[in-house]
Amino acid sequence: MTASLRVALNDNYQRWIAKKIPPRDSVTLNRKNIFIIPTRNGLLFLFCAGLVFIAAINYAVSLAFALAFMMVSVFILSILHCFNNLNQLSLASRTAGDVFCGEEATFRVQLSRSPSRSHESLELNFLGERASYSDLAANDTEEVEVFAAANRRGEFRAPRMRVLTRFPLGLCRAWSVVDLNQHCLVYPRPVPFALTQFDSGASGGSDSAISHEGSEDFYGLRDYVPGDSLRQVAWKNLARGQGMHLKQFVDYVDNKIWLDWDMFYGFDVEGRLSRLCYCVIQLSKTGNDFGMRLPGAEYAPSSGPEHRKKLLRALARFGAQ
Amino acid sequence: MELSYQIPRPALLWILAAVVLVILPQSIRMPMWISGIALLCVAWRLLIYSGHLDYPGRMMRVAVVLFTLLVSLSQIRTIGIGLDSAASLLTLGFVFKLIEMRQRRDIYVVISLCFVMSMVAFLYSQSVVTTAYISLVVAVTLGAMIAANRTARIADSANTAGLAIKIALQALPLTIVLFIVFPRIAPLWAVPVQSGVNSTGVTDEMSPGDISQLGRSAELAFRVQFDGAESLPHEELYWRGLVLDDFDGLTWRRTRSSSSYSVASALADFRISYEDRMRTSGEPISYNVIMEPTQQPWLFGLHLAEDVEDELFRSRNFELFNNGLISQRLSYDLRSHLQNQTDILLLDSMRNRSLRLPEEGNARSLTFARELRTAVDTDRDFANALLGHFRQNEFFYTLNPPLLGENRIDEFLFDTMAGFCEHYASSFTFLLRAVGIPARVVVGYQGAEQNPYENYLMVYQYNAHAWTEAWFEGEGWVRFDPTGAVSPTRIEQGVQEALRDDPAFMEDDLFAASRLGSIGWLNSMRLRLDAIEYEWNQLVVNYNEDVQFELFERLFGEVTEEKVILLMSSLAAIVLIAIGFTVINIEPRRQRTPLARFYLTVCRELAKIGLRRGRGEGPIAYRDRVCRERPELAEAMAELTEHYVRLNYKEKALDEAEQKAELKTLMEMYKRLKAKLPALAGFRGSA
Repeated sequence: MTASLRVALNDNYQRWIAKKIPPRDSVTLNRKNIFIIPTRNGLLFLFCAGLVFIAAINYAVSLAFALAFMMVSVFILSILHCFNNLNQLSLASRTAGDVFCGEEATFRVQLSRSPSRSHESLELNFLGERASYSDLAANDTEEVEVFAAANRRGEFRAPRMRVLTRFPLGLCRAWSVVDLNQHCLVYPRPVPFALTQFDSGASGGSDSAISHEGSEDFYGLRDYVPGDSLRQVAWKNLARGQGMHLKQFVDYVDNKIWLDWDMFYGFDVEGRLSRLCYCVIQLSKTGNDFGMRLPGAEYAPSSGPEHRKKLLRALARFGAQ
Repeated sequence: MELSYQIPRPALLWILAAVVLVILPQSIRMPMWISGIALLCVAWRLLIYSGHLDYPGRMMRVAVVLFTLLVSLSQIRTIGIGLDSAASLLTLGFVFKLIEMRQRRDIYVVISLCFVMSMVAFLYSQSVVTTAYISLVVAVTLGAMIAANRTARIADSANTAGLAIKIALQALPLTIVLFIVFPRIAPLWAVPVQSGVNSTGVTDEMSPGDISQLGRSAELAFRVQFDGAESLPHEELYWRGLVLDDFDGLTWRRTRSSSSYSVASALADFRISYEDRMRTSGEPISYNVIMEPTQQPWLFGLHLAEDVEDELFRSRNFELFNNGLISQRLSYDLRSHLQNQTDILLLDSMRNRSLRLPEEGNARSLTFARELRTAVDTDRDFANALLGHFRQNEFFYTLNPPLLGENRIDEFLFDTMAGFCEHYASSFTFLLRAVGIPARVVVGYQGAEQNPYENYLMVYQYNAHAWTEAWFEGEGWVRFDPTGAVSPTRIEQGVQEALRDDPAFMEDDLFAASRLGSIGWLNSMRLRLDAIEYEWNQLVVNYNEDVQFELFERLFGEVTEEKVILLMSSLAAIVLIAIGFTVINIEPRRQRTPLARFYLTVCRELAKIGLRRGRGEGPIAYRDRVCRERPELAEAMAELTEHYVRLNYKEKALDEAEQKAELKTLMEMYKRLKAKLPALAGFRGSA
């Protein structure tokens, strides 16, 4: 009951906040999207103001009244100052790097201000994640890295980010939750295993070796031996009176390695992707060319960081289309 | 998140500074060892800060809690539950919290306690100096709060201090409004401040040497302001305090049985006959007295004083008492009938009390008095003859009289012949009683110093004085001042003049009033400072529910709840909005040029015929839409828009003259556009 109520409330909140602060690539904070409430320390401070006030009544001490009123005024001012510390702060999304599943995704946010303002002690975090801190006092712009745990493979849309400040007095906190349309790609979580079958490929000197008795490419003719399949007899040559020969085909077996979806037969989809991911990481370290075949897609062998990225992205997006 | 919190190092220094500042004024009143512990804790915290020591362990913390418990028990046993013990306990808890302060929350506990301790300081004193000092404490505490919320990277203490002062100043207007307007509540369960501070001023016992002790002090006793322009000559300023009528040969005391101010039945008893016992003539003079705290209940006023507010008590000897000890500055209004007669008919009990002498001793004085009495006709003549005796013989007025033995009246009158007012009053009263004239010693203050900057008088402890009241048939009690006979200067010009050359005078105060009196500018500064203190007291310290009510009544007529709420909320709102604007610097709106303004009016005109310019729709896009929808307007609209756009996006901004000229062109173009409009409007209307 309470759980469903909470879910309902949360849904309502999400809808409301999405309407109030719609996702944008850059957001400037103003009175429409800044929220303020007192902190626990602020409440303690107010409680003490009450204490001073009661003492002032009790002992009829005029200046204790003044002190209590001063405390209340300071509290009210702290609300204004706290608001002002966020007001007109601009946040803009910067490109985010890709990340492996299980790691922290790093989203870069650019903070900027108008020259007459300064914003101090800003705390940026995604809900439930660790916070990053920044000040916008010396420079007009700062770039902050904000982290979010990436726990699912695929396209990762950053949740709403909270930017919060308690500056200057810590009696209240002003915050906003913004959605900067930030995305990143989460690669499968690499699962290590012994990679022996690829080790030898690295040392081969020539480009190709020939495996006889293949079926792909025409290699040459040889004499017919009784018992050979008649399908491969070079009938044209026989007709020209050159004797009975067999057409010989071979397969080229290269040391360009192929990673194949079926290499990990028996694992589930994520298991296969994780292992393929591990292979891609390891192989790209060797500098050899390698290709990859996934159901419905094939990536020609190549090497280098671009290739690595291409393959990892393919793994990350697998099944999404 | 909070676990990894580290108190920024500058913040710690700020907090320590605030703590030291707030404890400092307390340390004067607290036992020495508590100040020692406080200092130790601050030092410990500094050592933790520098990495030489670690936070206290669990055992240490338990030990500290036990220690504090023991201390509180012993404090309650020795001093009792009072302000002093509470203040020292608060201090202990406060400094112990300091050494185990790690989290942001702990910082705020310490900071909140700083404010509470500031309040405690106000319980002891509300003077200008205290207020200024506490303002400093508040500013430093605000600095500590700011530093605690700053990242170390940009924490620069000058900046922090600047911000703290800025916030304090911004908070000030609202504080003042709340102070004036917020409805004050009279204490419902008034707890008198019980403080271990020693009582000062005139007491209800007088042994030789008591008043001359006060003569060494230049502390202020009270300030007096007369209503209107009344001013009395110096020799009329007898601030009557207590009547001492019980003499044991050494000490004059207030008879305990007459301390009936606290006994309700006795109060009722003399109330009945009260009006019969006094006879007054002439107009009374009204004045206000602000007493410095004395930790005693009695008050001072010109004889015969009555209380305007009817809040004070009057004893059967016409002394005035406050309800409770005076532990804070006290302001009261009096009305005095200077021409008065009291106790024309003397009650036997009172007559007996006023005649009683010790069984033995001072034989020489007794014979002297009786012999002198036979030489004159009336009691009155006798008293005058005594004054003559003081005047004509070699009596000295001095703060350092020789020590006296067993028969002190005898020794003083016939051997040493040097003394302070208490010696004269004491022996004079003794001699009157010796011949059967009812007489008693009165203690109080005599004289005052006029403050030239504000119209009020200052009475110092060195103005303490003792004189005599004698009762005569048909006249009642009459005041005699034998000191005046010895040293007329004392009464007419004041004790400063009389004791100008006495080294003991005000020796307790190095920078005392009359010492400074000889240095012109220092003296005027002293008087000016006192005038500020006086004004402060009148305006701020005495601002209570009654003053507030009167102020409201004077400004707004009858005081109703709605009025108060309305006034409070509107004033607070005004101040808040004003402060809000100073704090939140609003981004300036973009200034529009006259050309842009004109273009917008054109748009508004077009909107009237249903061609509203959309939000964010540029002029070109708008023109295209207008041309599409109303082809008739196309030509004029295109001309106008193009011209406007060309002007608006010019590289160089136009100067004023150019703008004016261009505005004219635009207006003409608009006329051409407008020429087509009425027809259209009509067309739309018919459609």
